[in-house]
Amino acid sequence: CKKSLDESNINPNASENAQPDYLLTAAIKANADTYWGTANNLGASLLFVQHIAKIQYTDPDRYIFTNASFSDLWSVGYAKGIINLNQIIKLADAASNPNYKGVALVLRSWIFTTLTDQYGDIPYTQAGNIDEYLLPKYDAQRDVYLGILADLKTAQDALDPSGKAIAGDIIYANSIASWKKFANSLRLRVALRIADREPELARQTIAAVAAEGTGYISANSETAQLAYKASPNQNPISNLFDTRPDEYRVSKTLIDQLTALNDPRLAIYAQKAVATQTYTGAANGLSANLPGKDQVSKLGTYFIAPTAPAVIISYAEVLFDRAEAAARGLSGENAATLYSQAVEASLTQYGVSTADITAYKASAAVQYNSANYKKSIGDQKWIALYGQGLEAWTEWRRLDYPQLSPAVAGALNGAIPVRYIYPGTEQSLNPNGYKAAVAHQGADALTTKLWFDVN
Amino acid sequence: AQSVKISGVITEKATGQAIPGVSVSVKGGSNGTQTNADGKFSLSANENDILRIFSIGYNAQEIKITSGNTTLNIILEESQNALSEVVVTALNIPKEKKSLGYAVQELKSKDIAEAREVNLVNALAGKIAGVQVTNSQGDMGSSRIIIRGETSISGNNQPLFIIDGVPVDNTQTLGNSAISATSASRDYANPISDINPDDIESMSVLKGPNAAALYGSRAAAGVVLITTKKGKGSQGLGISVTSNTTFSSLLILPDYQNSYGQGANGEFSYKDGAGGGLNDGVDESWGPRLDGRLIPQFNSNGVAVPFVAHPDNVKSYFNTGRTLNNGIAFSGSNEKFDYRLSYNNMDQKGVIPNSSQSKNSFLFNSSYKITPKLTLNTYANYVNSSADNIPGSGGKRSTSTMLQFTWFGRQVDVTQLKSLYENGQNINWNNSYYSNPYFVAYENTVGQVRNRLIGSAELNYKIIDGLSANFRTGNDNYTDRRKTKIAYGTNGTPFGSYEEDAYTFNENNTEARLDYTKKLNKDFSLDVLLGGNMRTSTLENNDQLASKLAVAGLYTLSNSRDPLISYNYYTKQKVYSAFSSAQLSFRNYAYLNLTARNDWSSTLPVENRSYFYPSVNGSLILTEAFDIKSDALTFAKLRGGWSKVGKDATPYQLMNTYGFIAPFDGNPQQYANPVDLNANLKPETTKSTEAGFELGFFKNRLRFDASVYNTNSINQILSLDVSPTTGYSSKLVNGGTINNKGVELQLGITPIKTTNFTWDINTNFSSNKSRVKSLYGDIQSYVLGSDGTVQILAAVGQPYGTIFGTAYERNASGQILVDADGTPVISASKKVLGKYTPNWLGGITNSFTYKRINLSVLVDAHVGGKIYSGTNNTGIYTGVLASTLPGRGTENGGLSYYFPGNDNTARAVQIAAGSAAPGGAKVYDDGMVFNGVLADGTANSRIISASQYYKSTTNADESTVYSATYVKLREIKLGYTLPQQWIKSVGLQSATVSVVGRNLLIIHKEVPNIDPETAFNTGNGQGLEDLTLPGVRNIGFNINLKF
Repeated sequence: CKKSLDESNINPNASENAQPDYLLTAAIKANADTYWGTANNLGASLLFVQHIAKIQYTDPDRYIFTNASFSDLWSVGYAKGIINLNQIIKLADAASNPNYKGVALVLRSWIFTTLTDQYGDIPYTQAGNIDEYLLPKYDAQRDVYLGILADLKTAQDALDPSGKAIAGDIIYANSIASWKKFANSLRLRVALRIADREPELARQTIAAVAAEGTGYISANSETAQLAYKASPNQNPISNLFDTRPDEYRVSKTLIDQLTALNDPRLAIYAQKAVATQTYTGAANGLSANLPGKDQVSKLGTYFIAPTAPAVIISYAEVLFDRAEAAARGLSGENAATLYSQAVEASLTQYGVSTADITAYKASAAVQYNSANYKKSIGDQKWIALYGQGLEAWTEWRRLDYPQLSPAVAGALNGAIPVRYIYPGTEQSLNPNGYKAAVAHQGADALTTKLWFDVN
Repeated sequence: AQSVKISGVITEKATGQAIPGVSVSVKGGSNGTQTNADGKFSLSANENDILRIFSIGYNAQEIKITSGNTTLNIILEESQNALSEVVVTALNIPKEKKSLGYAVQELKSKDIAEAREVNLVNALAGKIAGVQVTNSQGDMGSSRIIIRGETSISGNNQPLFIIDGVPVDNTQTLGNSAISATSASRDYANPISDINPDDIESMSVLKGPNAAALYGSRAAAGVVLITTKKGKGSQGLGISVTSNTTFSSLLILPDYQNSYGQGANGEFSYKDGAGGGLNDGVDESWGPRLDGRLIPQFNSNGVAVPFVAHPDNVKSYFNTGRTLNNGIAFSGSNEKFDYRLSYNNMDQKGVIPNSSQSKNSFLFNSSYKITPKLTLNTYANYVNSSADNIPGSGGKRSTSTMLQFTWFGRQVDVTQLKSLYENGQNINWNNSYYSNPYFVAYENTVGQVRNRLIGSAELNYKIIDGLSANFRTGNDNYTDRRKTKIAYGTNGTPFGSYEEDAYTFNENNTEARLDYTKKLNKDFSLDVLLGGNMRTSTLENNDQLASKLAVAGLYTLSNSRDPLISYNYYTKQKVYSAFSSAQLSFRNYAYLNLTARNDWSSTLPVENRSYFYPSVNGSLILTEAFDIKSDALTFAKLRGGWSKVGKDATPYQLMNTYGFIAPFDGNPQQYANPVDLNANLKPETTKSTEAGFELGFFKNRLRFDASVYNTNSINQILSLDVSPTTGYSSKLVNGGTINNKGVELQLGITPIKTTNFTWDINTNFSSNKSRVKSLYGDIQSYVLGSDGTVQILAAVGQPYGTIFGTAYERNASGQILVDADGTPVISASKKVLGKYTPNWLGGITNSFTYKRINLSVLVDAHVGGKIYSGTNNTGIYTGVLASTLPGRGTENGGLSYYFPGNDNTARAVQIAAGSAAPGGAKVYDDGMVFNGVLADGTANSRIISASQYYKSTTNADESTVYSATYVKLREIKLGYTLPQQWIKSVGLQSATVSVVGRNLLIIHKEVPNIDPETAFNTGNGQGLEDLTLPGVRNIGFNINLKF
């Protein structure tokens, strides 16, 4: 009898053991989907940063959200990202394969960065450890960024291209050398995030990367991204346009800017409006007199193709970051040169011809202005980050360029959102942690500035 | 004592006809027999023995044997939920109701068969105190039944169903929304609806754990015992024929406005229905006035045609449903063998176009006396239910019915949509979000086929006088296959899809039992029972989806563009049990009942696997004990009891596992299960105390039955939601205490009783109050269900089923705060908006019998509780409801305003109606001012458009939470039994005709636009309505013939 009862309760549907390579693939895929998908990208950050406008059901474009609107990034980040990456780290320690640990730490750092960039204070030190912390405390944003920098250093030390091989890496096809560059590029990104608050720490981080010697992502081919495949593993934006083709169009702000700059990326970023055969953007946040779908430009075919990549850190971004670090005096590099390389890298990323690149870089409006590096870098980085909503929005908050006007019928009394609202479920599931975060950071509102966002 | 030979005939009081199959036995002995087809019996007994005569449905009698009285003429009276009736109790043992220490209530075959509900559960609505039935949405789908409130926070709260001793499954399998939202959005009927009402002799409701302790784990929420009709004592040719035709029509539709059509800001012009024209991608009715102005529309090929209302455009989409039921049953019996074989065919065409289902049911029952001591009983029921298309419910674009009609243009002529579809044109009034509703109904279908076999074999051996052994094995097996087709060209699913989802369920119960009955002395007698049961149940699911078809119109899994998405699982559970019960009777007025059971369940960890639970109850018949013989007080009984029931977990809840999903580019994907499981689970425990009394006055012309109970459920197995920051979505714990207290009253009155005319009134009332006392640690709430931002919670300190959602922000004096833009402020944190459970339920049945005509009328009430209405919320947002008319236009009290410089992002300025605006700006007449105050306390005066006004209110869930109170005219039955002299000549034994109306009228309700009795499914997340199908009114005609 006993044996029969024991045998009846062995679950035949799932495994009690996990494999690090399988966990790795799933963690990358789930988080890239969320990062690039509708809830966080098209339906929120790309609207805030005015790359995209919504032409049907425009509430999100008018900044009307509920506390259920931003639960996706939160739940996927922690429950499909952190938890599985923590498991990889455990398995890596047990199997003495530090490369898995390094890769998992880099990815985990990227996810934590994405979370704190949008929400501010978040559970970090006690996250993803349910046996000890059923109600994880919220860490201050400063502590989260500092922790991430420490984690990335640990990752960098753990990653060894001549060490044990890994599998399941759908970003770099298991190339540890590339992960080392990804780790450094992420350290640079985080260093700049805290640069207004903790310039000395930022300087030390950049110096440590230089001393370590692996360098940053140094070619478009090294860009950290998930290249999607044909359906069902298709790009989430592509998937949305297959089923609801007429909800989103390119923002008027972006198209006007690209047109003014005579930017060769315009034809890549947008299609001509069906009715007028011109590049016409849709104004953000209209509540009435919405343009018909044929009157305004759809996203460029590159971005709605099934195999379009979800870009995590591009070569161009790294060059812009290095330019800014130089301009801030955090490194000894030449800001103007790096800026020019960054613009070129972005154009190259989209296959713009050399002649067009030369012409574009020669135009006065594109030239680097050392008197206002934030404007030069901010304006061009904003264009370069097209489609990469969360990063573009974060950098706009930090650099305050380009100077955007709020949505026409925005609901925030003339403001543009500067953070996500915490998922409403946190109020009931972790009330003390939530209340402490609100007490520390300020009201749980779209308009509360985060620690890194000084101005 | 001297042995005497007794013989007699037993007849029915009301009709004077002989009653076959009545059990006649010597009390305390093994001597017993049954009446034959002519109602006659004979047996030997000793002088001064007590002869017990009982039959289910009649009041039992006891007769003392004297040598001078050996030929008995016994008249049995049909029991009316009354006092000395015999009822079926746990383990299918018939007992006199007076000996029971707990409440039990029974429904008779004619109550069940005549009402002819498609879903059997609905037959119980309003008739039994303490039983809450929530009818299906639409005319198909699931119905939920709850007895004495919800006792389990997260588990199944529906009672266990037992047919002739065999537990049968009633678990609604909803489909896996992770695989396909469309197949999961259907409301599949709960499996007990497979049972043919014509086969049911009686349904006994055992209301609490007190009644059900012997069934163990699954009986904590009560038991519904179904006894099927048998062949025993059948007369004549033994053929009975039933035929029923029922028509269904919509009971309610929302009250729509017919003044404004599709569009936004009063503007609309159709080009492609997808945003190519002027607001023609908008699926709302904030467009131009329906005044016949000329506008290009979906059916006009770009030509401007009159823009007018079609007030019945939703109503005309629906059909009159009809259900045919035809059945025949054969039965026969002799001394050694009896049988009954029945066949029934049900064929339903639903109210929604192209929805239909049918059912074929065969039931074979037999009893064979192999030797005088050994009897074999068998039972086999085969049911084939198949639905070509189950109507779509809820908010899925590719399949839903009410979604499209709530996001709608009020000018749309649905008959034009029908002709467009019939002409092969998938053109719709809106092509941004929807396909033509007829295309959806005819092309996007969900078919379901369930094949079910329930069977049992039972051997009964009389070992010696008073001791018998019983062995039974029963099995319930079904396969349930669903095929979901989405056609090429469906909006949102351009390549269509095809899904096959199959479930196989099997449960076997094998039971051995010893029954011992002994008359201890002249006062005491004892019944003891000892037994063991082995239960094995398995459920297997195999779900495959071709998410994009390669070619149109071919529905097969290999016709796929993408790799198939697959999902499967298999669960197995074993429970071993030992149980015992004893009844000690003193004379015939005091009874003490004890039960004990121990289960060993495979789903719990080894150290907690075994759990024991006892119960005790007793009853005392005061009128007999104190020899009160008066015309005023006929009967008085006191009863009371205490019981405990343990409950195990579902399978595989002990070890954390890692699941797999389809590979990415050749890389398998694995992830941690989102539930943190628990290796130390303990069984759940429910403890219940109940007490009650039954009184009969004036020869039972006045009958009163009252119960009070108090149930505490502790150590609940909860999959508690946790913050995702823990890495998990939920954690499995033992925790949580929920208390249910309640009272149940039944009052029966027979105001008139003459030879020809009887008037009976039976009322029932019940009230249950629940309170969640604790959950786990600091966790304060558990989510039972949600819809958008509304959640249904079990929250500490609150009643079960608290509705929790967004609300208006208010100041200290309760006034709603309004933003600078003139719209109400929605509170940052959610608030408790009510609870879904009712305060009380009641039903009143008036029955009139005049000679051969009987009429009964049932009215039932559900009072208290709240419901969140998604139909109202969406319909207000989209402006289709009549409730959005106030303020729309001067004639509806709208204020006039203009935007300076026609800049409609600027602040609107009010002007007097009819005057012109400065600078020739356009004047609008749909201005409204939200009644509230600004942050500084001054009254809001900002004028906004009606659409802004109404849309802003829908952000507060509070605005569409309503009282769920209703009173319904649930049932009217009118029957006529043809006189014997008419039918004898054609060989008939009896013939009855009847007309039955069900759900005829909502006499009173407080929620606008919907029927408050509505459910998505049978789960615990009730109190939510969202675009559910309107309920139906049924009128049926029955003919029953017996040859």
